[in-house]
Amino acid sequence: MTEFAIEARQLVKKFPARAGTGDKNSDSMPVPKRKWSLFAKKEPKAMFTAVNGVDLQIERGEIFGLLGPNGAGKSTTIRMLCTLLEPTSGTAQVNGFDIVKQANDVRRSLGTVLAGERSIYWKLTGRENLEYFAALYHIPQAVAKKRAEELIDRMELKDRANELVEKYSTGMRQRVAIAKALLARPPILLLDEPTLGLDPQAARRVRELIAELKQEGHTILLTTHYMEEADLLSDRIGIIDTGKVIALDTPEGLKRRIDQKEVIRLEVTGWHEDLGDRLKSITGIENLVTRRQGEADLWEVNMQAQNSRTAIPRIVEHISGNGTRLVNMNIVKPSLEDVFIHLTGKALRD
Amino acid sequence: METIISSPSLGKPGFLSDLRALWAVVHREWTIFRRYPSWIIALLIWPLIFPMLYILTARALAGPDGSGLAIFMKTTGASDFIGYIVIGTTVWMWQNIVLWDVGFSLRNEQMRGTLESNWLSPTWRFSYLLGHTGPQLVSMLMFITITALEFGLLFHVRLHGSVWMILLTMLAAIPSIYGLGFAFASLVITVKEANAFVFLIRGLVMIFCGITFPISILPGWMQSIAKWLPQSYLIHGMRAAAFSNAGITELLPDLMPLLAFGTFWLVVGYFTFLWMERRARRTGAIGQY
Repeated sequence: MTEFAIEARQLVKKFPARAGTGDKNSDSMPVPKRKWSLFAKKEPKAMFTAVNGVDLQIERGEIFGLLGPNGAGKSTTIRMLCTLLEPTSGTAQVNGFDIVKQANDVRRSLGTVLAGERSIYWKLTGRENLEYFAALYHIPQAVAKKRAEELIDRMELKDRANELVEKYSTGMRQRVAIAKALLARPPILLLDEPTLGLDPQAARRVRELIAELKQEGHTILLTTHYMEEADLLSDRIGIIDTGKVIALDTPEGLKRRIDQKEVIRLEVTGWHEDLGDRLKSITGIENLVTRRQGEADLWEVNMQAQNSRTAIPRIVEHISGNGTRLVNMNIVKPSLEDVFIHLTGKALRD
Repeated sequence: METIISSPSLGKPGFLSDLRALWAVVHREWTIFRRYPSWIIALLIWPLIFPMLYILTARALAGPDGSGLAIFMKTTGASDFIGYIVIGTTVWMWQNIVLWDVGFSLRNEQMRGTLESNWLSPTWRFSYLLGHTGPQLVSMLMFITITALEFGLLFHVRLHGSVWMILLTMLAAIPSIYGLGFAFASLVITVKEANAFVFLIRGLVMIFCGITFPISILPGWMQSIAKWLPQSYLIHGMRAAAFSNAGITELLPDLMPLLAFGTFWLVVGYFTFLWMERRARRTGAIGQY
C-alpha cells in the first residue's frame, strides 16, 4: 500500500480561453483570428490556466479540506483526480494508481459526490438508483441488493426507499448521492460541496456522516464553501486561489498565521464604497471585506487590525454621520475565514 | 459501525460484470421510459399523422376519378399506394426518432446532471450509449407494429409478402441506423446543439431515399447520392418484402448494401464515441452544460 491516499505533483490544467469572458488566469496572448486557408499556419490558441502547479499529499484516513473561491481551481483539481479530466502536465496518484494510465483502477478506488442531488436519477426510486450504480461499479447482484439495503438503513431512507427520488427533499437526495459513493466500499471519497443547498438540520446530518466515515478509515477530500464546516471536519486544509495552493496546514496552524492580528467586526446601515476607502486608509487596517445581510440595508464589515485599541476611535470617527449608522461592533478571535481573507484578499463567496 | 479499510472493495471487474452493467443501463432506460406515460399517446397518434399528410396529398393529386393513382402505381410497381407510402414514411420516422432519441441520449444525461456520475464508474463507457438502444428498439418495434395495425384496420392495407422477410430487412438495417445514431450522440455532446444536423439528415432521407416516390424518377445525380444512403435500400427492401412476396434471394441486392453500410456506420459510431471520450477528458466537455 502506498504512503499517501492521494498524491499530486505539479498538476496543471489549461483550457482554451473563451473570447470575451475575461478569464483572469488566461495567458497574455489574445485569441487569434482564425484564418480560413488550407495553407495558413495554425496559430496557437490563447489558454486559460485553471490549475497552475498544484502539489498535494493526502494521508490515508485524513479529511483534507480544499477551500477556494469560485473559479479558484478546486473543482478542476477534483475532476482531474477522479479521471474526468486529463491534466495538461504534472502527475497524480490516487490509491497508488496513476490518474491517466490507470484510470479504471482510480475509479474503483474512489467514491465521488459531484453535483449532489443532480447526480442521481429522479425518475428512479432511491433503491433503484443504488442498485443501478452498484451494477456500474461491478458489484455482484446478490451483494448489491444487500449493500443497497445496508446503505438505505444507514442513510435513514428506509421508509421512502421505494419512492421516486423526485419526491425526496434535497437532503434526502444528497444522502442517496453519498450512499451511491459508498456502494463499492471505496477507500477514498471525494466530496464536492456535500452540504450545498441543504437546510441546517440536513447539513448537520451530512457533517456527522462525514465524521463517521473518517472514523471508519476512509480518506476524504472535501471541498466546501462553508468555513465552519471545513474547520470542524478537516484534519488539514489547503487553500487554493488562482489555480495554486497558497497555504496548507491544520486549521489551527492556519489560524496561528494571523494570531498577532485582531479581527474587528462591525454591523452598519447606510454603507457606501467611499467609507470603505476611508477605513482602509487607517494605519494598521487591512483586508476589509463587506457582506450585505439579507435584503435589508444592513452590512457586516470585517477588517483585520494590528492594534484595535488605536484603530477603533478612528473607525468610529469615520463612520459617524453621512447617513451611516453603527449598529454593532465586536473584536473577535480570527476564524478560518479571516485567514482566507488574509491570504487571498477576498471572502470565500466573492 | 462497519470497518471499511479492512474490507476489500465489493466491485468484481470482468467481462460478465461489464455485461451486467450494460443490462443495468437497458433496465434503467426501460424503467424511466415507462414512467413517462405520454409515450402511449405518441405511440398511437404519430404512426397515423405523418403518412396521412402524403396519403391525402396523393388522393387530391389523383383527380376526381382517382386516375392519377393508377399512373402512380404503374410507375412504382406497387399494388397499394397507401402501403407504399406508409413503408417510406415509417423508415423516415424510424431514422428521425433514433436521431432525436439515441442521438440526444448522452446530451439529455448531461443536462440532467447524471452523465458525470455514470462516467465516474469503472464500466465500459460505450455501455451508456449501447444500453440506450435496447429500450429504443423495443419502442420502435411497438411503433412499427401499431403502424401496421392502424393502417390495416383503418385503410385496409394488406401484406402480400412475408413478415419474416420484412423483419429480416429491418434487422439488416439496424446497424446502419443506430451506428449513425451513435456517431450523432457523440457529436451532440461535443457541439451541445444538433437540431441543424437532425434537420439535414432527415431532409436528405426525405428527398433522396424515395419515401413517397420511386428513386427512378430522380435526376441521375440524385440517384447517385441515393445509392450512398442505407435508408434507400431499407425502403426498397421492405416494400419488396411486404408487397412483392420477395424471398432472401430477391432481397440480397438490398440486404448486402445494408450490412456493408451497417458495418461502416457501427465502426464510425464507435470511433466517434472514442474520439469524443478522449476529447472530453482534455476539455471537460462531459461536465459542461
